[in-house]
Amino acid sequence: AEASATEWNVSVWGKRRAFTENIEKLAELVAAKSNGDFTMNVSYGGLSKNTENLDGISIGAFEMAQFCAGYHADKNRAITVLELPFLGVNTLAEEVAVSNAVYAHPAVTEEMAQWNAKMLMTSPMPQYNLVGTGEPRDTLAKFDGMRVRATGGIGQAFEAVGAVPTSVTSSEAYQAMQSGVVDTVAFAQHAHLSFGTINEADWWTANLNPGTVNCPVVVNIDAYNDLSEENRKILDESVPEAIDFYLQNYGELLKKWDSVLAEKNVQTVTISDEEIAAFKEKAGGPVQQQWIAEMSAQGLPAQELFDLVQTTLAEARK
Amino acid sequence: MDSLEIGLWVTGGMLVMVLLGMRVAFAAALSGLIGLIWIFWAKKGMDPDQFIWALTVAVKTAGQVPHGKVASQALSLIPTFILIGYLAYYAGLTRALFEACKRWIAWVPGGLAVSTVFATAGFAAVSGASVATAAVFARVAIPEMLKIGYDKRFAAGVVAAGGTLASLIPPSAILVIYAIIVEQDVGKLLLAGFIPGIFSAVIYGFLIIGLALTIENFGPPVRGFTWRERFASLPPALPIVAVVVIIVFFVYNPFGGDAWGTPTEGGAVGAFVVFVMALVHGMRWNEFKDAIIETARLSAMIFTIIWGVLIYVRFLGFADLPHAFADWITSLHYSPMTILICILLAYAVLGMFMDAIGMLLLTLPVVYPAVMALNGGEAVSAADATFGMSGPMCAIWFGILVVKMAEFCLITPPIGLNCFVVAGVRDDLSVQDVFRGVTPFFVADAVTIALLVAFPQIVLWLPSMA
Amino acid sequence: MAGSSAVLTDDSLLSRMDQGLLRLEKFFALIAGFAVFGLMVLAVVSVTGRNLFNEPLPGYVDWIQQLMPLIAFMGISYVQRDGGHIRMDILVAQLRGRPLWVFEFVTTAMVLGLMVLLVWGSWAHFDRSFDFSKPMWSRDSTIDIGLPIWPAKLLAPVAFSVLCLRTVIQLVGYGRAILSGTDSPIAVPLIQSAAEQAAAEAEHIEGRD
Ligand code: NA
Ligand code: NA
Repeated sequence: AEASATEWNVSVWGKRRAFTENIEKLAELVAAKSNGDFTMNVSYGGLSKNTENLDGISIGAFEMAQFCAGYHADKNRAITVLELPFLGVNTLAEEVAVSNAVYAHPAVTEEMAQWNAKMLMTSPMPQYNLVGTGEPRDTLAKFDGMRVRATGGIGQAFEAVGAVPTSVTSSEAYQAMQSGVVDTVAFAQHAHLSFGTINEADWWTANLNPGTVNCPVVVNIDAYNDLSEENRKILDESVPEAIDFYLQNYGELLKKWDSVLAEKNVQTVTISDEEIAAFKEKAGGPVQQQWIAEMSAQGLPAQELFDLVQTTLAEARK
Repeated sequence: MDSLEIGLWVTGGMLVMVLLGMRVAFAAALSGLIGLIWIFWAKKGMDPDQFIWALTVAVKTAGQVPHGKVASQALSLIPTFILIGYLAYYAGLTRALFEACKRWIAWVPGGLAVSTVFATAGFAAVSGASVATAAVFARVAIPEMLKIGYDKRFAAGVVAAGGTLASLIPPSAILVIYAIIVEQDVGKLLLAGFIPGIFSAVIYGFLIIGLALTIENFGPPVRGFTWRERFASLPPALPIVAVVVIIVFFVYNPFGGDAWGTPTEGGAVGAFVVFVMALVHGMRWNEFKDAIIETARLSAMIFTIIWGVLIYVRFLGFADLPHAFADWITSLHYSPMTILICILLAYAVLGMFMDAIGMLLLTLPVVYPAVMALNGGEAVSAADATFGMSGPMCAIWFGILVVKMAEFCLITPPIGLNCFVVAGVRDDLSVQDVFRGVTPFFVADAVTIALLVAFPQIVLWLPSMA
Repeated sequence: MAGSSAVLTDDSLLSRMDQGLLRLEKFFALIAGFAVFGLMVLAVVSVTGRNLFNEPLPGYVDWIQQLMPLIAFMGISYVQRDGGHIRMDILVAQLRGRPLWVFEFVTTAMVLGLMVLLVWGSWAHFDRSFDFSKPMWSRDSTIDIGLPIWPAKLLAPVAFSVLCLRTVIQLVGYGRAILSGTDSPIAVPLIQSAAEQAAAEAEHIEGRD
């Protein structure tokens, strides 16, 4: 039995955190269900650079990997629809639903197949919000000239209202904030905690909710096809369980969030409905329309993908 | 054969290649590539039909590393730090510094030698490389010391030892490399080098004063400079202060406000200040071209080792060797402090035969996780840690210790490069002369290293402020 | 230890090829040097823009990432030409004549083998980021301002190919030395003692204080 055992290498980055719990849970589930016949060796940064995980999958250097669409839009144009600002996604469950729908779209499947990759599951993240230093930036006017660490569509949204997106890697975000290279950082809550930006913050926008980043987990197609029938079934069936665990675990973290803010003495900033509406009008619609126009010109069914997100969202709320 | 065994064989093979004299960068890259092929092939049960597949995957995996790893903001510090050093020659900073130190501190016993040490420390603030510092001061300081009757061997020893300060006091290419390999905050590491660097200089200073007080006719003090002459010597050396202030303030604002930017920006703005100085001092196109070509040359040399070693490190990631080595080290039945001291002594031996940058790049991927594990892990808190400091602080402390060891090796026989350089500049000195002259400084360095081990606060105080 | 050392020339074909390639290598090194200078200018623009005009330079980090491969790769062959890549020569320095040239031939051949494979690997890395059918031929872009990455990735196989040419010239040089057993072969870096080397280094910075 030893000889037929399957061991997958899984490339992720950073430290183990809420964001990687879907993968850790999946590894645990497949090992248990297959009685150790199918195991996963999760490597935090040892196998690849985080922006090159798709390359590694394409080469066949490892069997499974996590990546974020916004790190390299040109590698994964189709799924950048999920990073558009102001899509209206409110909960992690909705984020899972729209991600699954988009991942199943043939345009996405085809683009991933070019990397010899197959979508396995998502790593849903809540809406990003800003932490910042100094005076709270609670109106659109105060976003003008703001140096914000934000990638992808969220970055474009802030750019639309006069801010300057300034990317540093997530691990450098804390220092960038401390040194004034950026004055605000847009992250999900777990990242504000694990990268320490919350420690430097004076305030947090509770309800700006401009959008989020989409980070799928993919498998190498050949490796997936080479799995025994039984192991493939185990893998597929374990995905919903792993996602459920992730959602529950992230839920715990969100519950603790308010006490973290109080403990770190971070002011919660609530932005007025009018300001948010104005932000949406400037950054939501125009950025979305621009994306649809550009991607259509490149031959992607952009409108279809965008509508798919909207119908799935309506469906999920029924 | 499991991946761990492959890891050990390949690592052994690489060390043999390096010992036999293959260029370090290529020996590391080749070992890494062979290791990757081996690991991927082993995964397919060494099936001959699968060899081409394994080769392809390994080559493509290795082929990602050079671009993927060098296209980094943090690594951009290295060429800018090198550029600062080259421009500093043209800005006339060497002689200005020596003159200022002479007028201000040469009145102590052994005065000119003490001045030389502090002038090298000052030049360290614009120079990222030790060997260059030694070469420059051999030309400036040794003749003046000989004029007033110093023993020529000792005069040479002072310069060789003083040169080593350049890699502790920022800017320091070697500290940046350490930070990149161990993935720690570059800014904090650079800050951490300051006090140990100055501390080393002070210990050198006391050593010289002690020698001057005990040995007759050792080196007379130089007195008689007026205050006017002293102050007149300061303006030409001012750019040094500007560079120090820029680099420090871009990392950490001592007055409590925001820092001015990132270390990357600090290095580049510092280079710009020295560039303007050099223009004012008369640098023209030909000198400028020389400076940037020499910078490009040294950068290419360093970056080739970096990506070469990182191919080997990528292989280590697949072989999981560092993890296994850390487990082994922590399972040993010696006290962690004993193990740490053994590691430092091993560096002293290795450094006798190897270049500092190559030595650190080759060993750290395996040794660093082991040292962190000894302390209780990357994320350990100070209260739970073996060495009484948090994970990130231990990373900084170990980094400074290792770099100080590497610098120590620049003055130890048989290949103390600084000594060769000093002997090379002076026709009247043999390498043996310089080694004899530098011997007292071994004692000073041993004392410094012992104090840095015993009192980590010397290293950690400044970075813990930031 | 670093070993920059003299390369002998004459008017043979090999030597002329050596010197011809050297011109290209010097040109590449000059480009790398300007890239370092560019880093400096970029930082000054970024810092003054941010602090004086509240106008940070968009994509500062993206531009740094595009410049770095120029600096890291373009000088690689220039350094190889006079044997400047760091090595431990404590053993090699003991050898003289034919044994030395055989030794150098073997290690240089290993470098050539390695670099040919890395030209392939780094070309593949470039090729994955390049797509004729896409805007700006790009299938991989930087994070902030979406610059195509393929030109920077292409630098690696280009610079590595020049290094391959350089090692071929050196292999011929060592090969001829093995045949003739000479002490002063053409077109290859000659080993200097540590002392000679230090003298050469010191000479290099002469007059710069
Ligand atoms: Na320095
Ligand atoms: Na030595």
